[in-house]
Amino acid sequence: MNIILVGMNHKTAPLEIRERLSFACGDDVRPLEEILRAPAVREALYLSTCNRVEVLARAESMEEAIARVKEFILRHGNLDTSELEKCLYVYCGSDAVRHLFRVASSLDSMVMGEPQILGQMKEAYRDCLEQKSSGIILNKLIHHAFRAAKRVRTETAIASNAVSVSFAAVEMAKKVLGSLEGKSVLLVGAGEMSELAARHLLSNGVGRLIVVNRTYSRAVQVAEEFQGIPAGFDMLEEKLREADIVISSTGAAGHIITPAMIHAALRRRKNRLLFLIDIAVPRDVDPEVGRIDNVYLFNIDDLQGVVDENLRNRLKEAEKAEGIVGEEVLKFAEWYNTLEVVPTIVSLREKVESIMRAEMEKSGSWLKTLGEEDRKNVEIMTTQIINKILHDPVTGLKEESQSNGAMPYVAAIRKLFRLGSEGD
Amino acid sequence: MDTLFFKAALVAYLAATVGYLVSLVARRVVLAKVATWILGFAVALHTVHFLFVFTERGINVAVNLFEAMSFFAWIVSGAYLAVQFRTRTRVLGAIVSPFAVLLMMLSSLGLEGTLVIPDALQGKLVPIHVTLSILGEGLFALASLAGVMYCIQDRQIRQRKMGALARYLPSLGDLDNINHAGLLWGFPILTLGLIVGSLWARTAWGGSDWPMDPKSVWSFAVWCFYAFLLHQRLAIGWKGKKIAVLSIVALVVMITAFIGVSFLSSVHKFT
Repeated sequence: MNIILVGMNHKTAPLEIRERLSFACGDDVRPLEEILRAPAVREALYLSTCNRVEVLARAESMEEAIARVKEFILRHGNLDTSELEKCLYVYCGSDAVRHLFRVASSLDSMVMGEPQILGQMKEAYRDCLEQKSSGIILNKLIHHAFRAAKRVRTETAIASNAVSVSFAAVEMAKKVLGSLEGKSVLLVGAGEMSELAARHLLSNGVGRLIVVNRTYSRAVQVAEEFQGIPAGFDMLEEKLREADIVISSTGAAGHIITPAMIHAALRRRKNRLLFLIDIAVPRDVDPEVGRIDNVYLFNIDDLQGVVDENLRNRLKEAEKAEGIVGEEVLKFAEWYNTLEVVPTIVSLREKVESIMRAEMEKSGSWLKTLGEEDRKNVEIMTTQIINKILHDPVTGLKEESQSNGAMPYVAAIRKLFRLGSEGD
Repeated sequence: MDTLFFKAALVAYLAATVGYLVSLVARRVVLAKVATWILGFAVALHTVHFLFVFTERGINVAVNLFEAMSFFAWIVSGAYLAVQFRTRTRVLGAIVSPFAVLLMMLSSLGLEGTLVIPDALQGKLVPIHVTLSILGEGLFALASLAGVMYCIQDRQIRQRKMGALARYLPSLGDLDNINHAGLLWGFPILTLGLIVGSLWARTAWGGSDWPMDPKSVWSFAVWCFYAFLLHQRLAIGWKGKKIAVLSIVALVVMITAFIGVSFLSSVHKFT
C-alpha cells in the first residue's frame, strides 16, 4: 500500500511544538497545496488540532514523500532536525491505515472516547474536497475511517459515560431522578464547576434554576446568566423544598446544609427524591445527610470516583475497539489490494465480450433462421460459456492480490490476451 | 389449538427471559431491547391462546389455579410492556419475564387436566371477580418487582458502586414511578374484584360463613396491606426505599394467598 502518515500528537510532542506548527499553518499557508507540490505525493489530507498534527498521503514513492512531508513540518514548525525526529511518528502502508482509524475512533485521543476528533477530521476532509487534494484511494480510506469510528461508537461503550466531574454529576442525577425533564436545580453559592454542572443539567432538560448566594447581587448575576431565579441566603431552607437537584459550592467554613434542614424539607416535599452534590471544600453538606432515605449525596471525591470508574471502563472497551479497528484495516487492505487487478479483470471481460458480440454478428444471417426463443437460448449459452471460462482466472487474480501480489499474473494475462498496457 | 399457543407463548417467555439475563450478564441495554420485543411477541401469542379459550367457553378464561397463574403471567407482562412503553425502563423486564416464566411453568402442570368447575364457582359474577382480582394483583406484582429493582439500585448508588450493573439498571425515579402507578391502578381494580366476589358469595353461598373462608380472609389481608401501602404513599408521602421494601413483603404475602391458600380452602378452591 502506498499510503503514508506522518504526524505528532500529545504523547510525542510537547504542546509548545504542536502550537508552533498549528500557528504556522494558519490562514496564509495552505498546507495541502504545499504538500501536493511534491511530485511524489498524489493525494493528501492535513489534520491539525490542538492535540495533533497529521499528514496522510498517497505517494508514488514512499521514501520521497516522507522526506517531503517531514521537510514541510520542519520548515513550518521552525524546528531543527533532531528535535523533529523525537516528536514525529511515521507510518507506512497498513500501519498508516490503522493509525488513521485509531485517531478517527478516538482511541488515540487525550481523553479516550471523546468524540470531538471525528468532527475535526470531517472538517479536514472538507478542506481536502474543496482543494481537490483527495482521489479515489484517499476518499475511500477516509470514508472507511469514518465507518470504523461509527462502528466503535455503536458497538462499544467507549464514549457512553461521563469522564469529567461535571458530566458525572449529570449522569448521577439521571441515575437517581430518571428523566431530568421539568426538574429544578438549586445552586448554592457559585463557582466555575457548579456553573458548568448547571449548564450541563440545563442542556439535559432541567426546567428551572434557582440561585442562592450569600451576596444577593452575585445570585442575581448568576441567575441572569442562566435565566434562573435569584434568592437570598435566608431563603435556603425554603428553596430546598422545591429543588430536585442541589449543587452546593460555597466557601463557608462549616456545614450550611444540615440533616435537620433536610428532614424538614423532606416532610414538606412529601419525600420526593432529592439529589445533592457538594463540590465545596471544606464540605457544605453534613455527610450525615447522605444516610437519610430518599436523599442521595455526592461529594467531589464521589464524583471523581465515578469518573475514574468510567475511565477504567473505557480502557476495557478500548480493547474491543482495537479489535474492530483491526477488522476494518483488513477490510480496507482487501479493497486496496484488488485495486491492482481490477482494471485487468475489466479489460479481460470487455475483450471476451466483444469477441462474442462480433461472432454473433458474423453469424447473424443463419441466426435469423432460428425462432425467437432459440436465438435467445444461443445467446444465453454463449454468455454462460464466457462466464465459466472467466470465473477461475478472475477469482485466481483476486486471491493472488490478497496474498502474494498479483503483478506477474497481471502482466502475463495482459500479454497473453493482448490487452495492451494499463490505462489504454 | 389453544394449548399450542400456550406452549408457544411459554417458549417465547423463556426466550425473552434468556435475552434479558444475557443482557444482564453482558450489561448491555441493546440486548434488553431485543428481549422486550420477544416478550411482546410472547404476550401476543398468549393473547391468541386466551382468544381460543374465550371462543370455546366464553369469559371463563381462568377457572382453576393453573389457568389463573397463566392469566396472571399475561397481566403482569402486558402491564409491564405498557409501562415500559412510557418510561423506557427496558431492564425491568429482567425481573418481570422470569416471574412470568415461573407462573407459566406452574400453570403448564395443569395443562392437560380435565376442566371441572366446582358448583360453588359457577355463576356470571365469578369470571368478572377472577379477572378483576388477577388484574389488580398483577399490577401490584409489577409494583413490587419494580421495588425489588429499586432496592438493588439504591444499594449500588449508596455504596458508590457505579459499575456496569448500576449503569444497566433503570433510574430510581423511574422505578419509583412504576411502583406508584402499579399501586394506584391495582388498588381500585382489586377492590372492585373483591366487591364483586363478595356480592357473589353472599348470593351463592348465602349466610354468614363465607367471610371465614381462608382464601377470602387472606385476600382481604392482602387488600389491607396494599391499602396501607397506597395510603402511606399518597397521604403520608412515603416514597422510595421504604415503599419498595414493603412492596416486596406485600408480594410475598400475596403469592402465599394466591397459591398456598388454594390448597387449604374448601369452597373457594379452584380445582
